[in-house]
Amino acid sequence: MPGLRDLQTAFAAHLGGEDRADLVDAVIGDGIAAASRLRVHRHHVRRSLEGALASTFPTVHALVGEDFFRGMAQAFTLRELPRQPVLAEYGEGFPAHVADYGPAASLPYLADMARLDWALNLAFHAPGAGRLRAEDLAGVAPDRLVGSRLPLAAGATVIQSPYPIDRIWRATRPGALPEPVSLEEGPSALLVLRRADDAGFLALSPAEVSFVLALDGEARVEEAAVAAFSLDQRFDLSATFARLVAAEAFAALQQKSPGW
Amino acid sequence: MLPAAGIGLRSPHFAEIARDRPATGFLEIHAENYLGASPARDGLDELRRDYAISVHAVGLSLGSVDGVDERHLDRVAALVEHLQPALVSDHLAWSVAGGRYFNDLLPLPYTQEALEVVVRNVDRVQERLGRQILVENPSCYLAFAHSTLSEPEFLAELARRSGCGLLLDVNNIVVTAHNLGLDPIDWLRGLPAPVIGEYHLAGHTVNDADGEPILIDDHGSRVGEGVWTLFGEVVRRFGAKPALVEWDTDLPAVDVLLAEADRARDCLNAQEGADARAA
Repeated sequence: MPGLRDLQTAFAAHLGGEDRADLVDAVIGDGIAAASRLRVHRHHVRRSLEGALASTFPTVHALVGEDFFRGMAQAFTLRELPRQPVLAEYGEGFPAHVADYGPAASLPYLADMARLDWALNLAFHAPGAGRLRAEDLAGVAPDRLVGSRLPLAAGATVIQSPYPIDRIWRATRPGALPEPVSLEEGPSALLVLRRADDAGFLALSPAEVSFVLALDGEARVEEAAVAAFSLDQRFDLSATFARLVAAEAFAALQQKSPGW
Repeated sequence: MLPAAGIGLRSPHFAEIARDRPATGFLEIHAENYLGASPARDGLDELRRDYAISVHAVGLSLGSVDGVDERHLDRVAALVEHLQPALVSDHLAWSVAGGRYFNDLLPLPYTQEALEVVVRNVDRVQERLGRQILVENPSCYLAFAHSTLSEPEFLAELARRSGCGLLLDVNNIVVTAHNLGLDPIDWLRGLPAPVIGEYHLAGHTVNDADGEPILIDDHGSRVGEGVWTLFGEVVRRFGAKPALVEWDTDLPAVDVLLAEADRARDCLNAQEGADARAA
């Protein structure tokens, strides 16, 4: 084996599943064959990345079980390795992989569960500081509030699905009571966000989705509320707003923000 | 840092340790688990008031011929700057090639060329962090035919040229010696005691390869008796230094981990007592 660059290139190819005779020749095979020794590393890379994906996508893992998950994860890791060493940041493309993975076609909601897991992962790793709290609004006059812009806090995002993904998520929690979830229960929309000690979500009505997405698209509270009300006249601005503020769903107010 | 015995801080234990604040010498974190924001990162700011912290990186890829990933190094540097840990370490291994990260500590040939690459990378890391790092001996499952140095010779020369310290992982010595047919006591010969800054202890498992047993460094069980025996010899030769019990898979109760660290501390204390008597 010549230089270190060639060796690392050959080793990387071996880890990706190629048979590299030049690499096998470079490894001492006393007692245990060189190819078997090299397989320890190939095995570890695959297993550890599958394990990392199982940690990041716990709902998908719980739904399909260990063996199926490993197969699905291996097909992903062979195509897409991490680009950097923070494993919590690996797997952005996994929901799309799940959607395209033929053997999972009978579980049409699975890719949405993967999107929810990824959103929860991003929310978990969002900064806890910089959120609007209820006390920040204590001295703010109502007319000023309705004229303000309130983008979502870091890590907060809306996940929509034609399936009841919140109920499916709950059913997969460790210790959850077995409870049938019917896909006929219809669509769901969740606001995923960082909480003090973890990440979680709030279920949103269609009007609330419209309200939240409008706010995050830089509409003023008033404009977002009008849009939500036109969608559903039962939209209750003060109740929804209080619930979102209590969950610290909005970014902290910018000092002298042009929105004020 | 005092030659105390500490434990690896793993996320399933975080809440219990934050609540009970058990007595232990120090806490070691994996840098890569704390580079992004998270509730655990917030909680670490509380813990560091009560515990000395050691930052153990697994992804700097000190053996990469491409050099150290500057973006990753920036993130590690920000964490080190923020935490001001007692120790910072990574491994004699590579895990990045062609911009892809393999999540494994991959083996180097012990050649002059590789030595120059690792010295250059360690120099860069120490320059960016503004401090010394410790470099850990890896668990080896294979050796390259074209190596011209032994692993301890490579490590000693790396320390001499770069000014880095060494982290001696006693479990890794046992695993490497078994898998490569070496004598672990021979392995210890010639290592310079003053540059050794920390010890690691962990459990390993035995797998089958072509009908032959191969030891795998899985950090998934108590420290083996063979490792404890070698640890006693290591401490006699090189002195009492901070010692860490690592456990990463099949995590036990916190108490089990603390008891393992207590056993390591007893070894260190016995050596310190012997040193004091000798003086």
